Formats: sequence, structure tokens, C-alpha cells
Amino acid sequence: MSITNTKTSICFSSSSSLPESVRLAQVTMQGGSSGIGYGLKYQSRCISDVKADTDYTSFLTGTLSLKEENEVHLLRLSSGGSELICEGLFSHPNEIWDLASCPFDQRIFSTVFSTGESFGAAIWQIPELYGQLNSPQLERVASLDAHVGKINCVLWWPSGRCDKLISIDEQNIFLWSLDCSKKSAEVLSKDSAGMLHSLSGGAWDPHDVNAVAATGESSVQFWDLRTMKKVNSIEHAHVRGVDYNPKREHILVTAEDESGIHVWDLRKAKVPVQELPGHTHWTWAVRCNPEYDGLILSAGTDSVVNLWYASATSSDDKTSESPVESTRQRVNPLLNSYTDYEDSVYGLAWSSREPWVFASLSYDGRVIIESVKPFLPRI
Amino acid sequence: MATEAAPMDEKAKRMRDLLSSFYAPDPSISTSGSSINASFDNINSTSFDADQYMDLMIKKSNLEVLLQRHVQMAAEIKNLDTDLQMLVYENYNKFISATDTIKRMKSNIFGMEGNMDQLLQKIMSVQSKSDGVNTSLFEKREHIEKLHRTRNLLRKVQFIYDLPARLQKCIKSEAYGDAVRFYTGAMPILKVYGDTSFQDCRRASEEAIEIIIKNLQTKLFSDSESIQARAEAAVLLKQLDVPVDSLKAKLLEKLEQSLDGLQIKPEEASTLVEDDDSSNDTESNDQHPAKIHEDAVRGFSEAIRAYREIFPDSEERLFKLARALTAMHFEYMELYIKKRVSAADFLGIFRIVWEDVVLMDEVLPEAALSDLSAEAAQVTLKQFVARMFSHLQQDISDTLLKFDINQKEAVEGELLKVVLEASQKAVLQGTTNIFQDFRQLLDEKTGIFIKMKDLISGWIQKGSQDFFRSLEAQFLVLSGKTSSSNDIEGKSSDKIHAGLILVLAQLSVFIEQKVIPRVTEEIAASFSGGNSQAFENGPAFIPGELCRVFHAASEKLLQHYIDTRTQKVSVLLRKRFKTPNWVKHKEPREVHMYVDMFLHELEEVGKEVKQVLPQGTFRKHKRTDSNGSNTTTSSRSNTLHNDKMARSNSQRARSQLFETHLAKLFKQKVEIFTKVEFTQESVVTTTVKLCLKSLQEYVRLQTFNRSGFQQIQLDIQFLKAPLKEAVEDEAAIDFLLDEVIVAASERCLDVIPLEPPILDKLIQAKLAKSKEHNNNTVSS
Repeated sequence: MSITNTKTSICFSSSSSLPESVRLAQVTMQGGSSGIGYGLKYQSRCISDVKADTDYTSFLTGTLSLKEENEVHLLRLSSGGSELICEGLFSHPNEIWDLASCPFDQRIFSTVFSTGESFGAAIWQIPELYGQLNSPQLERVASLDAHVGKINCVLWWPSGRCDKLISIDEQNIFLWSLDCSKKSAEVLSKDSAGMLHSLSGGAWDPHDVNAVAATGESSVQFWDLRTMKKVNSIEHAHVRGVDYNPKREHILVTAEDESGIHVWDLRKAKVPVQELPGHTHWTWAVRCNPEYDGLILSAGTDSVVNLWYASATSSDDKTSESPVESTRQRVNPLLNSYTDYEDSVYGLAWSSREPWVFASLSYDGRVIIESVKPFLPRI
Repeated sequence: MATEAAPMDEKAKRMRDLLSSFYAPDPSISTSGSSINASFDNINSTSFDADQYMDLMIKKSNLEVLLQRHVQMAAEIKNLDTDLQMLVYENYNKFISATDTIKRMKSNIFGMEGNMDQLLQKIMSVQSKSDGVNTSLFEKREHIEKLHRTRNLLRKVQFIYDLPARLQKCIKSEAYGDAVRFYTGAMPILKVYGDTSFQDCRRASEEAIEIIIKNLQTKLFSDSESIQARAEAAVLLKQLDVPVDSLKAKLLEKLEQSLDGLQIKPEEASTLVEDDDSSNDTESNDQHPAKIHEDAVRGFSEAIRAYREIFPDSEERLFKLARALTAMHFEYMELYIKKRVSAADFLGIFRIVWEDVVLMDEVLPEAALSDLSAEAAQVTLKQFVARMFSHLQQDISDTLLKFDINQKEAVEGELLKVVLEASQKAVLQGTTNIFQDFRQLLDEKTGIFIKMKDLISGWIQKGSQDFFRSLEAQFLVLSGKTSSSNDIEGKSSDKIHAGLILVLAQLSVFIEQKVIPRVTEEIAASFSGGNSQAFENGPAFIPGELCRVFHAASEKLLQHYIDTRTQKVSVLLRKRFKTPNWVKHKEPREVHMYVDMFLHELEEVGKEVKQVLPQGTFRKHKRTDSNGSNTTTSSRSNTLHNDKMARSNSQRARSQLFETHLAKLFKQKVEIFTKVEFTQESVVTTTVKLCLKSLQEYVRLQTFNRSGFQQIQLDIQFLKAPLKEAVEDEAAIDFLLDEVIVAASERCLDVIPLEPPILDKLIQAKLAKSKEHNNNTVSS
């Protein structure tokens, strides 16, 4: 109790004084948790792994403040893994609703932002000499300004170099061609999901550069980017988060408001392959581990992050249904619950460099880095 | 001498001995010189050495003995002397009589030769005379013999000519045996001369025989004839060289057809059993179906017995038939038990079938019918047990669904309660009944049942285990929690009434707490025997595991109920927050109607919960308790809140945010997500909490202008009173409502709350309006 107080008050006291360029992390001792904490000034929703940084385990995160000056933080996990260091702090013109790091250039990332009344999306580049400047400005590489409605997310193809980008707003999905050197982005094609499906997010298939999934009000929809047409859909309501399994083709994980987490095999999209109970309130985000197949992380509005192990059930071994199912039910898929949060957790990211490390971000602006190493032997 | 012999028997015997030894060719006796008593063998032997003997004697014996020996020897020598004298005398006597006899023979033989010659002459004359007679009679004798032969031939011809007539006569008198004998007798002749002299005759007789064959065949096929007669007919036909094989085939086919008559058709089966019972009551001798059936089977087995005698080579075929009959019986029994059958009926049928099997087995012991049927019976019984359970499951789900169908029309009133009670009763009653039925199975004394007693117990244990497991699975499917098949998938979740889920949850608790212990008792009491196969897999019925399963299921279902309920509210809220442009919201005029809908949903939850779940027993106590510990915090938060409201007009939003955060820090952390209990209050509280949390999350996703924020403030303020009324944990509700306001203020561009008087006024207006609305609905 008292620890919480002091810790959070540190956060606020620091927010009252103006930004220092480097803030040291505090190792939280609460509840015997091994997590490393870091406090942002304001509330925030999104955190992203900097995949292109091969030397360090680093994350990008941005704040969500309607009235204050927003910031983007570049965080780096020290080599010992005991400290989280703020490597860079950049001001961002608007509150950030979504942030994604470019998978092939560690200095480039995308944000979706809002001025309160309208939404916008842009690609940014971290300035080269930021270490020497006090509060360096981000260079805007390109604006994705073809959108009219509320933009939800910008997607990079997760598996490698690809000069295309996808952005999703409530009704449309856009395919952009990005040219960093010319600092321009052009719309290659777009498709409308229809007025009735208000889209809320999406994921790009790491196994197929032409397949994209978008979550809608009542279904998950799939586009083929070559024709820019909808090819498939899973009729399932209130999907909030979606992620492809990077280790296994055709496997998709969704997070829903009330009904938890579902694992789908896209070849048989009628019935989920597996069902995980999810969270006490909504399950907001879900992420598959980039290295360990079946390891799933979920974050919920009940201020908890859950680590699951969805034992590798593809459609192939579903034939011997009943006995397998009974044994599967006996094994609890929940490996661990991280409860060290004060508010709803919206941001979640695995590190691709150290795949046993993940970063989580609760709404009150606290980044917590945890290692799942103790649970790896169990899978 | 002969006259002397009788008195002097001893003496004569000795004489004869001496004589024989004298005449005997044995040299040992002749050379011995003197005849001595048999006791002295060594003296009699040829190699006897008198000197040696003497030496030995002298050496061995004393004087007295020697003297004695001497006296003895002297007596013996004297004896031998007299014997010799007598022998000589006797021999002499014999010589004399022999010469006398020879003299007499010589005188008798004279005159014999003349008589012999005379005899020879007479014999010669007799012979010549007999030769004469013989030659004179020879011709006549020849003639007589010829006549005799002709007569025989004629008789045969006569027989053949008479054959048709005779056969006709036989047909008339049905003496087919004779007829066949006649015909086969005449057959060789007819074969040789049939084409020439006896053409007509042959034709006529063949016609007759054809008739006979026909008659015999009809006889063979006619069921009215006795088996004996038919067997005879078959034998006769065989003698007549009619192809019997085809006949046999036909007959067996017929037998097969008669199988159809023996089927216990499912529709008849029930009458069979019923009539059996009724006739037992009335003691009437009417032919009830069971009796008829029994007779039919008896007839069938008789026929098989007969055929077996008639066609000993067709046993295999008969075996096949018998097996087919039993197989058919069991097949039909399986069909029969597909419908719902009570154990008594099942046993009735089983008994009949078993009797049949026993009957057949008597007739054809080699067919191994009992093994076959034991196997089949096992399968059938196993199926029966499984089916009983599946029927029970069907019953239970029917009970549940029956009411659900009416759900829409019926008044909500007490319906859920009725469903719950009905289904509880169905489960309890059903299990009791089923075990009663099973006990009947165990009590059955038919041979096979006794043998399978252990097996049955095992099946029942396993069956009940499976039953409860599948019941649980079905509950989950019914609740829409798991979509087992595509057709369930087709039913969208709104079709599954939320109340049903609640009922299922409570029913699971009931099963866990009441039904499973009861079943465990039953099994322990009556069916504990069948552990023969249990050693491999452990005991088949594991109540602990089932309890666990149902416990988990009940929690899952309750959670699912809350989820479905909150989901509804969620949809409501989602629509509410998606539709308006919050940044350009107009000033609040009244409490938004979604609040009504939200409260209505809650009311519904309350109603349903009240019908199904028990009241929390510690409610009062808990409440005071929580008040005791939380008064300070909640009051502080209230004051803080009011304080904030009062001041916020003049303050910057940022400092307000800071303040609320501080307030949150110092306030006791309220546990929002607690474990749901099976009480009315707990469920309602959890639902409200979840809904409010959703509300907060939706608010966080929007950006508001001042009016938007004020609208939210108004709505929340209105919600406060009714929610607190409904919910146990006031502190948590306060906290959550505050959180919503905080979230809205955070997301607001220009935070200026409504003045409390205006707030009050608007709320009062809403209350008045809803009251009026209520009155209207009541009056209408």
C-alpha cells in the first residue's frame, strides 16, 4: 500500500516538474514481482517493440493527453536487464492513440493521433543527433492524410522489409506505398468495409504479405491486398484485439469484450480451435509470442496481464477430440497473472530480440517490463 | 482176485503201483533192483552210491539212530519181498486168462464168409432196379420243371400288368410306401422291356408314380402333416430318385421364411409383454401372443429337429438358420430398446428371447448358440444401459427446453423458478428411477444375467460417469457457452435465454450437492460388484471428479450468465457512445434514455436471480460489517467529490486530475472484481460492477466537450440512487461511478460540471416522468 503511494507520487511529482532527458527506472518490489517499472507523465495507451534494434531490447511508447504536450519515449532495457532507461524523449504534437515501430528501421515509427476533434496518422523519424539536443523534434516523414473518419491503427508488415503500409479507419482500409527517402506516402488502393462494420483495429499476416485481418463490430474480416477485396470473415462479435501467430500459419488469436480469448484456425473459421477464459472484464489486447509457439499474452481492463499457454492444437490433432479435450481441460492454460497494475492495461508488446521479455502499459502511464523465463520450462 | 480187491483196497493199490513201475520203461526204476518207499528218493536215483551213503550215515548218526535205521531197513526189505511174490503170482494168472480168450475167438470165426457173399448179390440187384425206374421218370420230371418256370414268368408279367392298378389302389389308400416298393421292384423290367412289350403298362405306372411323387411332395411341404410323416415322405422320394437336394433347399427356404413369423417386432413386443402380464392376472387360458410365440418357436425347433434327421447332411444350414434366428432376435431387441422401454418390459422381452435361445440350443447344441447369444446379449444389455442414460439426459434437456419454448409468450413471473424446480425434479427422479430399473436388471434370475452381473455393474458405473459428464457438456452447449456443432452455432446467443443459463448454473449446483452424493450411495449399495475390469482403469464411477466437474460447470455457467447479461448492456452502451458526436454535444436537457434501459436490464437480472438463486444469508451482517470498515473512506470520498465539484469551476482541469489521482491513492483500493457467489446479491452486484466498468471504458474512448461531460455527469448522478438500492457493495459502486466521472473529465476539453441545483432539477424531472410513465402502463 505505502509502496504504491510513494511510487505513484513519484510519477506525479515528476510530472509537475518539467521533463528531464533521462529518467531512471525504479525496480518495483511490490508483491514479489520481478517487473521493472517506468512512469510516463500522462496517461497512455500504446507501446511498441522496436524490432529493428538488434543491439538492445527497446520499446517505443507515447502519451495520451488531451490538453498537455504529448511525448514519445524510447526506452531501452539495460544489458543486465535490471533497468529501464529512457534513451530518447521527443515531443509529439497530439495525443497518441496508436504507435507502431517500423520493423526494418529502428528510427522510423508511425503514430495515430487525435486533436480531440479530428484524427490523423503520420510516419516519423527520430532525429539523428537527438542525444545532444535537449528536447529534439521528430521529423515527419509522411502524413497518411487520406482518412476522413476516426483512424484506428497503422500496420507494418511484421516479417521483414516491405515498403507498404496499411492504415485502418472506422470504415476504410488503405494500402500505402511509403518512400522514406523521398519522404512521401501514396495511397495504392483502398476498400470500404461498409457503413455497418465500424472497424476497430487489425493485424497483418506475418506469413502472407497479402493478407490483412481487421476487427469490426460483429466480425473479423480478411482482405487480400492484391485485389483489395474482402475474402473471408469470422462472424464473432465485439472483437477488440487480434494477432496472428507468427510461428504457425493460419492461426489467429482474438480478444473479445466479454467472452475472453479465442484461437482460430483460418481454414476452418466457423468454430474456434480453442477458448481461453480471458479477463474478468474486457480482454483488450492479445499478443502471440514471436518465438515460443502457443505462448499468448493478454491484457485486460481488469488491470491484469495474463500469460497463457494454448497447447498447440491445430486442426490436425483435433480429430481425437474427446479424450484430448478432457486432458486439455484439466491442464490450466493460465500460466501466470501479473496483477501489479493500478489501471486498465491497453498496451502490450513482446520483445522480438529477447522473446521472453514483454512490456505492458497501463492507462495511468506505467510501463512494466516482465520476463516470462520462469514459466518457459512449463510449456 | 477181484473179490479180494474190495476188502484189500490198500493192498491192491500198492500192487498196481508196483506193476506199473515194473512195466514202466523208466530205466531208473528197472535198474534200482529193489523197490523202496518214495520218501527215499536218493536211494532210488541212479547215481546212488551205497558206500558213500553208508559213510555219511555212520559219520552223522549215533549208534541208536543207526540201530533204528537198521531195524527199519530190515522191515522194508521184508515188505519188498512179499510184494515181489505177489507180482509174480498175478502175472501168471493173467496169462492163463488170455490164452483162454484166444481159444474162444478161434472157434467163433468159422462160417462168416458165406454170409458175406450172399449180401453182395442182393445189393447188386437193388441197384439195377432203381436205375430202371429213374430213366422211366426222367422226361416227366423235365416237363414239370419247364411248366413251373413258365408259371413264374407269367406271374411276374401279371404283376407288371397289375402295377398301375395296384399303384392306383395304393394311392387311394395312401399306402405310398407299398407303392414305392412295388414300383422299385418292377423298375428293372420296365427299364429293359418298357419300350416294347410293356409300353402301355409302363406309361400307366409312371403316371401313377408321378401322382405319387406329387402327393409325397405336397405331403412333405404341408405343415399340417406330422413331422414323422413328412420325414417318411422325404425318404420315399429319395428312393424314387427324385432330386432331393432341390427339395431340401426349398424346404429350408420355407423354414427361413417361417423365421419371419417368429420375429418379435418392436411394435408387437410391447403387446407381447403386456399381454403376458395381463394373462398372469386373469389366469385365463386364452392364447395370448407370448404363448403363440412360444408355440411358434417350439414348432420351429421341432421342424429343425426333424430336418436334421431327414437331411443329416444339411446341419450347417440349420445352424445358420438358428444363428440367424437368435441374431434376429437380438437385432429386433436393439430396435425395440431404441424407443423408451422400462426395465421390466426389456426384461420381459429378454426372457422370451432367452427361452427361445435355450429351446434352440437344446435342438442344436453344436451350433454354439449360447455363446453367440451371450455375446449378443452383452452388446444389447450394454446398449440398453447406455440408452437408459441417454433417455434420461434427453428427458432432462426436454424439461429444460420445454419451458424455454414457452418463455416468450408466458409471463416472466415465476417461470424460471418453475423450470428450475421441474428440472431438479427431473434429474433427481430420473436418476432414482433409472437405478430402480437397473436394480431390476441385477435381480433378474435368467441365466445370462447372473453370469453378467459384474459386467452390468461395471456398465452402470461407467454409464453414470459418462452420463454426468455428457450432461455437463450438454449444459454447456445448451447455455451456448460451447458450440459443439454447427447447428448450435446457428442459434445465435440471443436465442438462448439468459435465464436458462442461470437455471443451468443453479441446476449444476444442485447436481453437485444433491444428486451425485445420492447416486454414489446407490452405486455403493447395489452396484459395487463390477470391478473386474476396473483394475485397469481405476473405478469407473468417480464421484469426486464429477463433483469437481459440476462445480466448475456451475461457476462457468454463472459467469456465462453474467457475461451474457453484461454483454447486452455493453451493446447498449456501445450504441450510446458511438452514435453522437461528443465533441459537438448539445447541452444536457434530460437524463438520457439508455439509463432507463440499463436499469431495466438490471431489473430483469434481479427478477431472474430472485427466482433461481438463494438469498445471501449473511447479507445484513455483511453490510454492517462493510459499513463499519468503510464508512470513513466512502464519506471522505464523497466530501472530496463534492468539494471538487464546488471548486472545479474555478480550477484548472490539470490540477483537478492530479487531485482525483491523489484522492484515489489515499482511498482504500476498492476490490472491483471479486469472486461471484451463488447468491442473488452477489450476482447482481457483479453485473452492475462489470457494467459500470464497461461504461468507464467507453467513456475513455471518447473526447467530450463541456456539454458532453455534463450529460455524462447527469446520467451518472441519476444512476447513483437506484444502483445503490440494488447493490450490496455500495462503496464499490460509489468508486466506480466516480471513476466514470473522472474518466469523462479526463477526456473532456473543457471541464465545467453542472451546478448541483440544475442537476437536481433535471433528475427530479426524470423521476417524475418515469413515474408518470409507470402509471400510464399500469392504467393501460
